[in-house]
Amino acid sequence: MAKWKSLNEMKILSSYYPRLDAPLKVQGKARYIYDISLPGMLYGAILTSPYPSAKIIRIDDSRVRKHPGVRAVLTDVHPTGRIRYAGEEVAAVAATSPEALQEALELFQVEYEVLPFVVDLEAAMDEKAPRVFSDRPNVRKPREREEGDIEKGFAEADVVVEREFRTQVQVHVPLEPHGSVVTWEGDQLIIYDSTQAVHGVREGVAKALDIPVSRVRVICEHMGGGFGSKLWAGRYTAIAARLSRQAGAPVKLMLTRKQDFLGAGNRPNSVQKIKMGARKDGTLVAFYAETYGTAGIATNANVRLPFIYQVPNWKHIHRDVFINAGGGRPFRAPGCPQASFSMEQMMDELAEKLGMDPLEFRLKNDPNTTRQKEWRIGAEKIGWSRRRKAPGSDPGPVKRGLGMAASIWWPGGRGTKASMTIYPDGSVEVRCGTQDIGTGTRTLVASVAAEELGIDMRWIRPLIGDSNYPYSGASGGSTTAPSVGPAIKNTAEKARAALLERVARNLGLAPEKLTWQAGSIRITGSQSQQLSWKEICQHLENEPLEVHGEWVKGLSSAGVAGCQFVEVAVDTETGQIQVEKVVAVADCGLVLNRLTTENQINGGILQGISYALLEERYMDPTTGTMVNPNYESYKILGAMETPEIEIILYDEPERGVIGIGEPPTIPTAAAIANAVYHAIGVRLRELPMTPDRVLNALYQEKKV
Amino acid sequence: MPVKKGSSGISRRDFLKGMGTTILSTAVVTGGGLVPDSATAALLDDTVETISGRVKISLRVNHKVYSVAVEPRTTLLEVLRERLGLTGAKPACNRGECGACTVLVDNQPMLACSLLAVDVRDADIITVEGLSTDDTLTAVQKAFVEKDGLMCGFCTPGFVVAATALLQKNPNPSLSEIKQGLSGNLCRCAAYPKIFEAVQQAARTMQRGK
Amino acid sequence: MFPFEYINVRELTALPDYLEKDGEKSAILAGGTDLLGLMKEGLLKPRKVVNIKQIRELRGIRDTRKGLEIGAATRLSEIEQHPIIQQQYPVLAQAVASIATPQLRNMGTIGGNLCQRPRCWYFRGQEYHCLKKGGDMCYAVDGLNKYHAILGGGPCYIVHPSDAAPALIALGATVEIFGPQGKRTVPLEEFFQLPEDNLLRENILAPNEVVTRIFVPRPEAETRSLYLKFRERQSMDFAITSVAALVQLRNGKVQKARLVLGGVAPIPWRAREAEKILEGNSLSADRIQQAAEAALKEADPLDQNAYKVILARNLIRKAFTQLQNA
Repeated sequence: MAKWKSLNEMKILSSYYPRLDAPLKVQGKARYIYDISLPGMLYGAILTSPYPSAKIIRIDDSRVRKHPGVRAVLTDVHPTGRIRYAGEEVAAVAATSPEALQEALELFQVEYEVLPFVVDLEAAMDEKAPRVFSDRPNVRKPREREEGDIEKGFAEADVVVEREFRTQVQVHVPLEPHGSVVTWEGDQLIIYDSTQAVHGVREGVAKALDIPVSRVRVICEHMGGGFGSKLWAGRYTAIAARLSRQAGAPVKLMLTRKQDFLGAGNRPNSVQKIKMGARKDGTLVAFYAETYGTAGIATNANVRLPFIYQVPNWKHIHRDVFINAGGGRPFRAPGCPQASFSMEQMMDELAEKLGMDPLEFRLKNDPNTTRQKEWRIGAEKIGWSRRRKAPGSDPGPVKRGLGMAASIWWPGGRGTKASMTIYPDGSVEVRCGTQDIGTGTRTLVASVAAEELGIDMRWIRPLIGDSNYPYSGASGGSTTAPSVGPAIKNTAEKARAALLERVARNLGLAPEKLTWQAGSIRITGSQSQQLSWKEICQHLENEPLEVHGEWVKGLSSAGVAGCQFVEVAVDTETGQIQVEKVVAVADCGLVLNRLTTENQINGGILQGISYALLEERYMDPTTGTMVNPNYESYKILGAMETPEIEIILYDEPERGVIGIGEPPTIPTAAAIANAVYHAIGVRLRELPMTPDRVLNALYQEKKV
Repeated sequence: MPVKKGSSGISRRDFLKGMGTTILSTAVVTGGGLVPDSATAALLDDTVETISGRVKISLRVNHKVYSVAVEPRTTLLEVLRERLGLTGAKPACNRGECGACTVLVDNQPMLACSLLAVDVRDADIITVEGLSTDDTLTAVQKAFVEKDGLMCGFCTPGFVVAATALLQKNPNPSLSEIKQGLSGNLCRCAAYPKIFEAVQQAARTMQRGK
Repeated sequence: MFPFEYINVRELTALPDYLEKDGEKSAILAGGTDLLGLMKEGLLKPRKVVNIKQIRELRGIRDTRKGLEIGAATRLSEIEQHPIIQQQYPVLAQAVASIATPQLRNMGTIGGNLCQRPRCWYFRGQEYHCLKKGGDMCYAVDGLNKYHAILGGGPCYIVHPSDAAPALIALGATVEIFGPQGKRTVPLEEFFQLPEDNLLRENILAPNEVVTRIFVPRPEAETRSLYLKFRERQSMDFAITSVAALVQLRNGKVQKARLVLGGVAPIPWRAREAEKILEGNSLSADRIQQAAEAALKEADPLDQNAYKVILARNLIRKAFTQLQNA
C-alpha cells in the first residue's frame, strides 16, 4: 500500500508555507466569477416571488421586451408555476447594462394567486396547517434508528435527565453570492461558476438543459466561499445559459445578496426532546430522542444523535417538516453542531446530577482512543483544574465560565484523478478537476507534486477548477485534501518512475543503476554521476512526458476526533456573552500545510461562535418572508467578536491525510453553552444565545 | 477603454512615505480641477450644477485620470468594476454592510458601493490595485500573504485597503485597535486571527523601514 | 437605483429652490450612507438628489467660547477625532465613535445621522407596506419585535437609530434649520417627533428644509458625561439600547443630570423624571437605582422585547455608577 514519507524526510509538506495564489488575491488581481467580463456580455437577473405560497397565473413581459436594453426574456423558468417560498424564481431577463437590467425587472407584470403559507416549524406540524406540497403532509415519515433496549436501559439508570433544545436556521451567505457567467461557443456551453464542484455543476446543467455532458465545460478559477451551499448546479446557471442562447451573447447572472439569503441554502433548524440516563458510576445506559426540523421545501434536517458517546441502549426518531421557506443544503458538518449543542449539554447536566466532573464523565463514556488523549491535552491547556466548582459563583456582574465539547467527522478520501505534464525545460503542469474554495487546494496540488518530485514548488503550475481536467469530486464533506492529496502523490510517483525509465533508456543503462535522490537522479556504477532536475528533464528532448494517476488507498483516512474548550465572560447586566478564549485540539492526521490548516480551524471555530451567539433567520409570520436578508440584521461574526484561539494540531501522520474543515465548527456552540451555564448557573437550551435570551433566562431564574 | 490623461503623484507619494515602500515617482502634476466634458452637465451659475442622463466625467483612480460615461445613479463601485475593469473592490452586499468594496478616497477608507461616481469627481481614489505602483507587494500585502490572512479571498481587497488605512493613521496599533480598525469588514471564512497577525507584522515591517 | 437628476448646490441660499415641498420628489445627499440604501431598496425614488456637501458653511467644527458649532455636513470621523470634543464633550465623542464602522464614519455626516430613517426591518423591506410607508398596519406588533420600541411606541414601533442624538440632547444641543422661510433654531430634543404626531417622518424638518448647524453649549465646570451603547454585535451594529448620561457634580451633589436613551423609543428618549430624582442629591447607589426605575416606569414592551427594560435599567445604573467613580 502507498505510504507518505516520514515527517523528517518532508521538505515542504507539514510545514508552514503561504498559499500560491495569495499574491493575486491581496492585489485584487484574482478574478472571481463576479469579476469576469466577456466581450459583449449581458447582465442577467432573476425575478423572484415576493409571496411564500402562490400560483403564477400570468406573466406579462410585453413591457420588459420593449425596453431598449433588453436582449432576452424568460417567463418559464419555474418548472411548475407553483411558488413555495418567497424568493423562488419566476422570470428572468438579460440586458445590456446593470442599469437597464434594474429597470427591466420592474417592468414585469406578474399575476399571482396568493395561497396560504406556513413558515414556522411547529405551526407546520399542525394538521390544519396549509400544506407546502398538496400531495403530502408537512410532517414526513419518521426516521427511526435504535440499538439495544431503551426500556431496559432506563430501568438501569440511577439518574435521568430530560430536556428540550432548539437550534435556529443558519444561512451560509458566502461573501461572493451564487452565480455564473455563461457563453456558448457553437453548441459548446462554457460556464464560469462560483462553485464547490466543477464536475458536479457540469453534470447538473447538462441534465437541466438536456444536452450531453460532453458539450458543457465548467470553470472556476477563484470563488468567494461556499460552506456547502455551492455543491451542485443552481437553477440560475441553467437560466443564464438559456438567456445566453436566446440573446446570442454571454450572460453574467449573480444572485443579489437578498436572493442569496432566501434561496441559496441554509442549515435547518431543530427541536430536540432528549432523555438520557446514567448509572451512579457515570456509565451512560440509555438515550432517547425525538427530533424534528425543517429544511424549508427540502429535506434532510436530521440531527446526528446520539453523537459521539457510547450508549448501549438508544433510540432516535427524527421527522423532517416542510415549511414555505428556501431549501436547506449541506452546511459545514450537516446535522452535527445541532447534535453537539444538545448532547454536550445533556452530558454536563448528567455529570452535575451525578456529582462528577464533566471531563471525567466524558472520559468514561467516550469510546474514541484518540479523543481520550485530546480531552486531556485540551483540559491542560485551558486550565480545567482551576475551574470553580459551583456554577455562577463569580462575584460581580461579569461572570466567567469554562465549557467543553467534542468534534467528530467521518468521510475520508475518494476517487480523484490527476494528470501531470513534465516539459523538457523542467517545468511541470499538474491538472486536477478539483477547485479551491478557500482552503488552499491549489497550493496543496503544487506542494504535494513538488514534495514527491523533490523539487521546488516554483517548477510546478497547478491547474485546477476546470471540468476539462481529470475528475475530482465536490469540495465538501472535508473530502478534498484526503482525495486530492493522494491522487497528486500517486501521479507524481508515476512521473518519477517514467522519468527514471526515460533517462535509463537514453543513457542505455539498466534502470536499477539509477536512483532518485531528492529531485535528482543518482547513477551508480561506471558512469557514476548525479543528474539535476533540469538535466533529467532534458532527456525528454522534444517530447513532454504525460502521466496519469489517481487516488489510492493508504494515504488518507476517514474518521476525525478532536475537542474544544472555551472560556466565556457573561455580563449579567446586559446578557452579553463574550468568548474570551478557545482551545481547540484538532485531529489532523498528516498535516499538509500547517498555515492553511490553522486558518481553516480558526474559521470553523469562529463560524461556530457566530452560530452560537449571533446568527438567525427570522421569518415574518404575517407575510411569510425573511425580515433580515442582509448582513446588517442577519449578524455574522466580525473582527470585534474574534477571541484568542489556541490551536493544538494533534498530528497522527501515520493515518495519512484526513479532512479538517468541518470538525472544528461542530463543538463550539455546545462548549460555549456549557461555559455559559458554568458562568451564570442558568442553562440556555436555545440558539443563538443572544442577549435577550440570556436576560430572559436570568430573569426567569430570578438572577437579574 | 479608459483614457489615460495624466496622473498626479504628489498625494500618492506622501501617502506611501509612511509605509516603508519604495515607489517610483513618474508623475507630473497636471493641474488640479477636473471639469466634466459633458453635454448635459450644466453649470447654471457658480452656485449650482445639475447633471442628468448619461454624462462624461473624469475620475482620478490610482493616479490616472479616466474619462467615463456615467449616470448620476452610477456608483463608484460600478464605475471601477464595469467601466475601468478594476475588480479588486467587490460587490458582496452592495449596501455598506460588509466592507468588501473599501477604497481610499482622499486617503480615507470608504465604501465604493455607497458613493455616487459624480460625487467623487474631485477626489483621489486608490483601489487595492493601486496600493503598489509596480508589481511588488506593499508591506501590508506581503504580510497578508506570509501570515495567510485570507481564505477564499473575496473580502481580502477590502481588508487590505482598510488595514492600509489603519496603519497609516496608527502605525503601531494594539490588537484591540486592529479589531476596531477592521470592524467594518466581514470575512465569512473568518480568517480574522491570521488577518490580525498580518496587520501586526506589517506594522513591525513598516516601523523598521522608517 | 432609479434615474434621478443630480444637483450640486454650492451656496446655502440657493438650496431651497432645489428642494421640493413633496418629500418624495427630492432628497438631500450628504454622506449618502442612508440615502443610497433607501434608494437601492426602492423605498425612495426621488427625481432630484441634491448634494449639499460643497456648501462651505455646512462643514467643519468651530470651537467658540459658548461651545461648539458643527456644520451639518461634517463627517462623523472628524467629530470622533476632534481633540476638544474628546476632552470636553466625551459623551459626544464616545457616541460618534460607536456609530457603524470606520468606513461609514468617514462618509456619514452628523446631520445625516440625526435625520437618518429607522432601521426597522419592516420599514426597510420592500414587502411590507407598513404605517411608516403610508400603509395600514405595523407588522411589528404581531410580528418580530425584539429590536422595537418599549417606550413612546404606537401606532408604529420603530426605534430611533441615532447614537449622536442622545448624546447631543444630553449636552443641550440645538439645531439650526434652513428653509424657504429662512433660518430657525430649535432644541434638538424638540426636533424629533413621535409616530403619534407624525407617522411618516421622524422629525419636524419639512422636505424643503435642511439642518445646517448644530450648536452644543460648553458643559459647565465639573460636568462628567459618557455614552454607553449596547449592541448584539460589537463589529458594526445599531444600539439595542444606549444611554447618554451627564452629571454636574459639585461637592458630591448632583447639580444637573441629563439622561437620554437611544434604541428604546421612536425618538431619543429623555428621562426627565429620572433626572429629577438625581438632581439635588448625591449620586448614591440607591438614588441611581431609583432613577433607573423611574426612567423605565412607563415602559410598555411588545411580546419579544421586555428584555430591553431590564437592559436599559442596568445600563442606566452602570452609566451613572461609572460617572460617580470617574
